[in-house]
Amino acid sequence: MTIAVPPRFCVAICAALIAGSLGYGLLQVPLLVHDSLDKIVDAGRSPGLWASFTSEIGTTDFRPLWVAEIKLLFDLSRGHVHLAYEAFHIALLLAAFGLFVALLRIETGVDLAASLFALSVFVGSNTFTGLVKEATPVNVYLPIVVFVLLAMHLSRSRHAWWVDAAAVLTLIAACLTLESGVLVWVALVAGRIAGRRGVSDRALVCVTVLTVVYLVVRLTMLPLDTQNASGYLTERLEPGQIRERFGAGLVRFRIYTVLASISSVLFSEPRDGTFVVWRAWEAGDIPPRMWISIASSVTTTVLIGIAAWRLSRSTVDAVPHRDDMRAAFLVFGAVLAASGVASFAYAKDVIMSSAGACYALVAFWAVRDQLIRVRRVGTAVAMAAVLVAASSLWAVRVIGVHHVLRTQAFAFHNDWGALRDHLPGDPAARRLVTALRADALSRPVVNPWFVPRWADRVFDIDYF
Amino acid sequence: MADSHVLRLTNVSAVCAAIPALVAVGFCGAVLGAAVFGYTPTFWQGGPLTLAEAAALRDQGEVARLIEAGADPNAEYALRPDVLAVSRATPLEAAVLARRAEIVELLMHEGAAVDERTWHHLHCVAAEIGEDDVIDAIDAYRPATAATVSCPQ
Repeated sequence: MTIAVPPRFCVAICAALIAGSLGYGLLQVPLLVHDSLDKIVDAGRSPGLWASFTSEIGTTDFRPLWVAEIKLLFDLSRGHVHLAYEAFHIALLLAAFGLFVALLRIETGVDLAASLFALSVFVGSNTFTGLVKEATPVNVYLPIVVFVLLAMHLSRSRHAWWVDAAAVLTLIAACLTLESGVLVWVALVAGRIAGRRGVSDRALVCVTVLTVVYLVVRLTMLPLDTQNASGYLTERLEPGQIRERFGAGLVRFRIYTVLASISSVLFSEPRDGTFVVWRAWEAGDIPPRMWISIASSVTTTVLIGIAAWRLSRSTVDAVPHRDDMRAAFLVFGAVLAASGVASFAYAKDVIMSSAGACYALVAFWAVRDQLIRVRRVGTAVAMAAVLVAASSLWAVRVIGVHHVLRTQAFAFHNDWGALRDHLPGDPAARRLVTALRADALSRPVVNPWFVPRWADRVFDIDYF
Repeated sequence: MADSHVLRLTNVSAVCAAIPALVAVGFCGAVLGAAVFGYTPTFWQGGPLTLAEAAALRDQGEVARLIEAGADPNAEYALRPDVLAVSRATPLEAAVLARRAEIVELLMHEGAAVDERTWHHLHCVAAEIGEDDVIDAIDAYRPATAATVSCPQ
């Protein structure tokens, strides 16, 4: 099936519309107060970019590039702090969508259909919500998704010296942003194992050495305070409760957290480590949003499983673009496993966001594989039914992301309302926070009273 | 012949995979389109609230915004029929009736005042509702001159 308008152009337009509408939503959401306001105030106090960068050395977080970004945007904002941070957030979002679409092999109408399905998986996934629902004040996970997608892109591109340089710089930038930046190394190595030669072996050795150095420094020389609240079965446990229940080693808890994190990508459960559907079942009311999430993810995971099984049994020429498909599956497996391990301390869906993006990429290959194998009427009808059901559920989840943004806007607006008695004592900081508060309160948000009751039951919500 | 048959089958399945996704894209396009042309997309439209309604609907941000824009926290405001069971109330009454202790706190910090008579009335409303944290929030602002509390049964 070939069509007149280039399929890649159609997908790019669709991606731009989704990203643009989410960008509009981001502009409606006031800045986050908790975890964010202190960082903005610190950026205001910091004498310069380098001072902000170096202030992170020796800290438990160690995110120097992220803190420097916060400072840079603050300085560039010239008083329009909300606009500066949200504009950067939108730019990152557009980069993520652009790289995602660039990684899809879109040549025919079938590819176009599979791409649209993959796009809705990318946005509708529970791992994506965290990329837009909060920014502290720059979302720290979205750059990692961008870096991982960029690494995959470099890996499959034609080799050149600048590709090697870009790969090294991507790894450095990712690791200085967040610990999950190591996923860039995982994506590069998995790509090489899959036969992609965009990044040379010499550059791979270089990024491997850098990764080892980073891990050694991060794990042995910098303080680690990794225990946050996390879900366990139907409960959400605070750090003290986790230590009390699982003892000093926490091995059982760590294993649970890694497996739960992997499961959250494949089946949309548990959420941040908590089986919310189980909890809802115990309470006697499972809202449709939970069925929608689980059914869409299970169906897609089954399609991916079938495609992976067929891929493992196929010969070199049996499947068109077999090498690309194999590489996508291999990178997904590696990023999924590595992201799961990176979540060992506590389960949080957004930590798995890079794996979620790779999941959407393999969903493209899985749907494409199903479509090109249709030969009989019976199979076609069954496949059409499965795809229309799964795609419909994912479409509801995509719209649900906007609902989450709308809900967040109300919550953040309220936080600013309650802030009046907690203004900083230092006059400059007080002026800054007062201005930010006035700006946040002036933004019209939607009170949930105006939202139909069914929306909270159908569209996904922020569980914690 | 066989090839075109396979092609048709493939097309039908492809369309089934694409259409729901296109509906979601259409929704996003409508939101973005409205915004680009200067309208607030319906999805992002709420409505104006009176101060008492904002207090009843847990809208701390709107309570703070309205008061700082000049709304009187001690005046009586109209309420839409399905917000509370009363048609008019002061913001404090609305917060108590809606069992919102945090809104009581916010209103008091934003300039709401209670005299002996108002406090007695609010205390009795809170006691009738039976919400302990709301009673505590009201009692925290008990005027020094207030007499012993006796609420009508």
